[in-house]
Amino acid sequence: MSRPDILDESLLDAPLMEARDLVQTYQVRQGFLRRAELHAVRGVSFTLHAGETLAVVGESGCGKSTLARMLTLVEHPSSGELSVGGRDAANPDQKTLAALRRDVQMVFQNPYGSLNPRKRIGTILEEPLVINTSTPADERRRMARDMLARVGLRPEHYDRYPHMFSGGQRQRIAVARALMLRPRVLVLDEPVSALDVSVQAQVLNLLNDLQKEFGLAYLFISHDLSVVRHVADNVMVMYLGRPVEVGSREALFTTPRHPYTQALLSATPSVNPDERRARIALSGELPSPLSPPSGCAFHRRCPHARPECADKRPELRNVEGARVACHFAEEIMEKRLTGAA
Amino acid sequence: MALLDIEQLSVSFDTDEGTFPAVSDLSLTLEEGEVLGIVGESGSGKSVTMLAMMGLLPFNARVEASRFHFAGQDMQTLNDRARRRLTGNDIAMIFQEPSTSLNPSFTIGFQLLEAIKAHEGGSRRQRRERGIELLDQVGIPAPGKRLNDYPHQLSGGMNQRVMIAMAIACNPRLLIADEPTTALDVTIQAQILDLLLRLQQERGMGMILITHDMGVVAGAAKRVAVMYAGQLMETGASHDVFREPAHPYTGALLNALPERHPGTARLPTIPGVVPGINDRPQGCLFHPRCAHARQDCRASRPALKAVHAETGLGTRHVRCYHPLNEEVLEIAP
Repeated sequence: MSRPDILDESLLDAPLMEARDLVQTYQVRQGFLRRAELHAVRGVSFTLHAGETLAVVGESGCGKSTLARMLTLVEHPSSGELSVGGRDAANPDQKTLAALRRDVQMVFQNPYGSLNPRKRIGTILEEPLVINTSTPADERRRMARDMLARVGLRPEHYDRYPHMFSGGQRQRIAVARALMLRPRVLVLDEPVSALDVSVQAQVLNLLNDLQKEFGLAYLFISHDLSVVRHVADNVMVMYLGRPVEVGSREALFTTPRHPYTQALLSATPSVNPDERRARIALSGELPSPLSPPSGCAFHRRCPHARPECADKRPELRNVEGARVACHFAEEIMEKRLTGAA
Repeated sequence: MALLDIEQLSVSFDTDEGTFPAVSDLSLTLEEGEVLGIVGESGSGKSVTMLAMMGLLPFNARVEASRFHFAGQDMQTLNDRARRRLTGNDIAMIFQEPSTSLNPSFTIGFQLLEAIKAHEGGSRRQRRERGIELLDQVGIPAPGKRLNDYPHQLSGGMNQRVMIAMAIACNPRLLIADEPTTALDVTIQAQILDLLLRLQQERGMGMILITHDMGVVAGAAKRVAVMYAGQLMETGASHDVFREPAHPYTGALLNALPERHPGTARLPTIPGVVPGINDRPQGCLFHPRCAHARQDCRASRPALKAVHAETGLGTRHVRCYHPLNEEVLEIAP
């Protein structure tokens, strides 16, 4: 039942999940007979180790949910490589797919929508076992009760229905369900953004404890930078389907290099008056992924944009310890430092 | 004279399980042109208070107050019609979900002009011009063309701008914004907050900003009220309240914010949950979850009392027998 192999020293060094240049393209209909290609995600690469958290940050339409669907093997990428625990997950055969599904599980944003109101908590928790394993019924029941205790609920909650729980408790149930198969990677899609502040803190603590206990790797999708700053080891900022900045938490939060990261940070409300820096107001809205702007996708909203930005798309490149997709990252960083001094 | 003056407002709902006090003993004042932030978690009664003010509560709600004045008029003695005219013209409200507040079957032009027709009248052409002017004021590009769009053709941020245009159409003296930016992206949230504050200043409107995000209040409102389980727990200048919270609930809420704990793995939490209909405690409503609760907190419910002399933004009040930061607050002038 337990998986002691994940605590094996030699396996800790190998990445649990590795993505290289993931692309997801959809065919969309635009009126009668007209079709267009929508590039939902392009050029996403990362490695994720056991016990690590990678946060993916971005606004609506940046491709984070598409990315989550690819990583949980609900959709297969149009191109690119994805491996989970060393096995190919981009084009898996049925047998590998079944095995991989056990390794990657997901927790959704809205705990009111993600639990079936007609099923008892016990049934909800046991369902992954019924589908994916041949565990006998009494063993399943024992595992479900055990898991309830681990996420801070009581075993007698086994027979209750979802409507009898508060939002925070439901999110605990959703986490418990995701852990029933003892996955190694958990994809968390905005797991605390529907919760109140005090409950949010409880769920974040729970996720932190479970990560330590099971050596889980988290892919944490969020738009809330103060939460990301708390949970993440590494951060990937996405804009219109592409990563624009990837780096360690320290690098991103102390010296954000991309103008979009800087704007996001400055737009995050804070109760601490010292934390409130001059706001970089972004004009305009997110462009449509169906007709992305030429060159750098951010150039129409960027306060530092120059004519070159509209012509040439910047690739991700190393800029002092983080990877950034901006032609003028060095200059902008320097300007920010001298401006702050 | 204050624009809004409420004393001892209580709202209760008759349900099958008995009477549920959603709001009790709530007193609030708002000056002309002032911004007040109301902070609280789900179920704290912040939205119910505002709906009571607008007369939008369902039939099983009972609203009582010892004083309920808006712009010098006693709202309790007005008949329905006069009250509707008053709340329609002088009080406007915007809600959390812009895409569900708008009717998907009508163009935004129709919905916006309908509000203008009901309250201002004028010829069809004048109304249309007024609609374009309003959309322009809330920063919608190409407003003439947008009038013919349906809500689903606009983004969440744009729909919220349309809602704001409707709200300011009748030049209200009070704008109630109930979680206006919660459903929006961070950069769009910043734009909408800036827009609301700009309009509020240009027009000298009073504004009540309801939110669960203390960061939003800290940036936008000079004065803040913290609600818990239907009661006001603390009010005061937002700068003071967030720097030196007096009520243990405010303190615990601030302490649970990740931004306060850089580099620590575990966050401090508030144990337990907000009391529901059947488990409201004796004494202070917060005492079962309070780290500082003593004997007297369990025995009787504390009243709202002033903790130190008036500042320019009105008195600081707290509903607690043993406030935090007592030393600091008492020596404050």
